Amino acid sequence: MTLLAPDQNTRAPGPARVGIGGPVGSGKTALIEALIPVFMSRGVEIAVVTNDLVTKEDARRLQASGLIDPARVVAVEAGACPHTVIREDPTLNIAAAEDLEARFPGLDLILVESGGDNLASTFSLDLVDWWMFVIDVGQGDDIPRKRGPGIMLCDLLVINKLDIAPHVFVSADAILAEAAAVRGEGRPVIGCRCKGTQTQGVSEIADLIMRDLLFRQVPA
Amino acid sequence: MEIFTTILGKADAPEYKAQVHRLSHAHALDVLRLSRADLSRRRLRATSDAGADVAIALPRDQQLYDGALLSLEPDRALIVRVETEIWLRLAAADQAAALRLGYFCGNFHWRVRFEGAHLLIAVETDLDTYLARLEPMLEGGEVWRVPDEEVST
Ligand SMILES: Nc1nc2c(ncn2[C@@H]2O[C@H](COP(=O)(O)OP(=O)(O)OP(=O)(O)O)[C@@H](O)[C@H]2O)c(=O)[nH]1
Ligand SMILES: [Mg+2]
Repeated sequence: MTLLAPDQNTRAPGPARVGIGGPVGSGKTALIEALIPVFMSRGVEIAVVTNDLVTKEDARRLQASGLIDPARVVAVEAGACPHTVIREDPTLNIAAAEDLEARFPGLDLILVESGGDNLASTFSLDLVDWWMFVIDVGQGDDIPRKRGPGIMLCDLLVINKLDIAPHVFVSADAILAEAAAVRGEGRPVIGCRCKGTQTQGVSEIADLIMRDLLFRQVPA
Repeated sequence: MEIFTTILGKADAPEYKAQVHRLSHAHALDVLRLSRADLSRRRLRATSDAGADVAIALPRDQQLYDGALLSLEPDRALIVRVETEIWLRLAAADQAAALRLGYFCGNFHWRVRFEGAHLLIAVETDLDTYLARLEPMLEGGEVWRVPDEEVST
C-alpha cells in the first residue's frame, strides 16, 4: 500500500483489531477456533486476546488447541465486570494488543474475545476497529426482538449453533429473518455453526473481515 | 479501492484551503460521509459520494474528524464529513426527576450532552428504541420531550 503525504511522520497502521462479544457460552471461543485455520489458509497472520473474569481458561484452551502458536494468545483477567474492560476502560486489552503487535510485527489481525456478558455489552472503538456479537439459537428465538445494544450496534451479528435449532424448538430461518429486520438494511447477520464436522457460515464471517478490515480480495 | 493510512490535515488549513475551494467549484471535491460514531474507527471501508471505494487504516494515535482531508490532487480531493446527528431533547419536572433521568441514561451508556436545563441524547440506533426505554418516565410526566428537536452536526 502506498503512504501518502511523505512529509508527514508516517507510521504503519498496525494490524486490524476485531472484537467478539456475546452472552456466556454462545460460542465465541468456538468461533475463534473455527476462524483461525480459515485465516491461516488465506495467509493472514493472526493473534488472539481473550478475556475471562478471574481465570485464563479461554486462553489456555486456545493455547492447547494446536491451532495457533501459544505465544500468540494473551489472556486478560477482566475482574468482576466483563464489559468495563472492553468499553469504559479498555486499557488492559489495549496493552495486551500492543504487546502482541510488538512481539509479532507481521500481524494482520488481532481477535479480542470479550468475557461472556449480557445483551448490553458493546466494544469501545478505541480498542477494536470493528466488532461482532455472537448469540446462539439455544438462548431463545426472541433474543433479536429484545434489541439489546449488543445486537443493534454490532458491525456483524452472528447467530450460532444453527445445528441445534430443531432441538430447542427454534426456526433458524425465522430467527435470522427477524434479526435482519430489527437491525435494518445493510447491517449484516450471519447464521453459523462452528462445531462439528460440517461448519457453516465461518468462511462468510472471514470473508467480511477480509473485505472490510483487511482490504483484501476474497478468494472465489 | 484506495487505501489511506494518514490524514493530510484540515481541509480549511491555510496550505490546503485555496485548492480545496477551487476543486469544490470544479465539482471535483469528493466527500466521505461518516456517522459521528464511525469517527472513532481507525479502520473502515466505505463508499464516497462519487462512488469511490475508500479504505482507511490509520495508526492508533490518529483519529478522523469532520473536515479531515484524505487526499489532495490537482484534479480531485477527498474530505471526511460527519453526518448530521439527531438528538433527543428532554426536560425534567424537578431535580429528583433530573437525577433519575441522568442515572437512567448513564446506566444505558447513552451518549448525552447538556444544554441549560435540557439533557440531549444522541440517537445512535432508531429513535423508537430510546422512546420505548424512556416510556415509564415520559408517561409519568417526570420527563418530557422538548418539541424543538435539535439537529446539529
Ligand atoms: N452444537 C453446537 N455447539 C456449539 C457450537 N459452538 C459452540 N458450541 C458449544 O457451546 C459451548 C460454549 O462454547 P464456547 O466457545 O466455550 O462459548 P463462549 O462464548 O466462548 O463462552 P464464554 O467465553 O464462557 O462466554 C461449548 O460446549 C461448545 O462446544 C455450535 O455451532 N454448535
Ligand atoms: Mg469463551
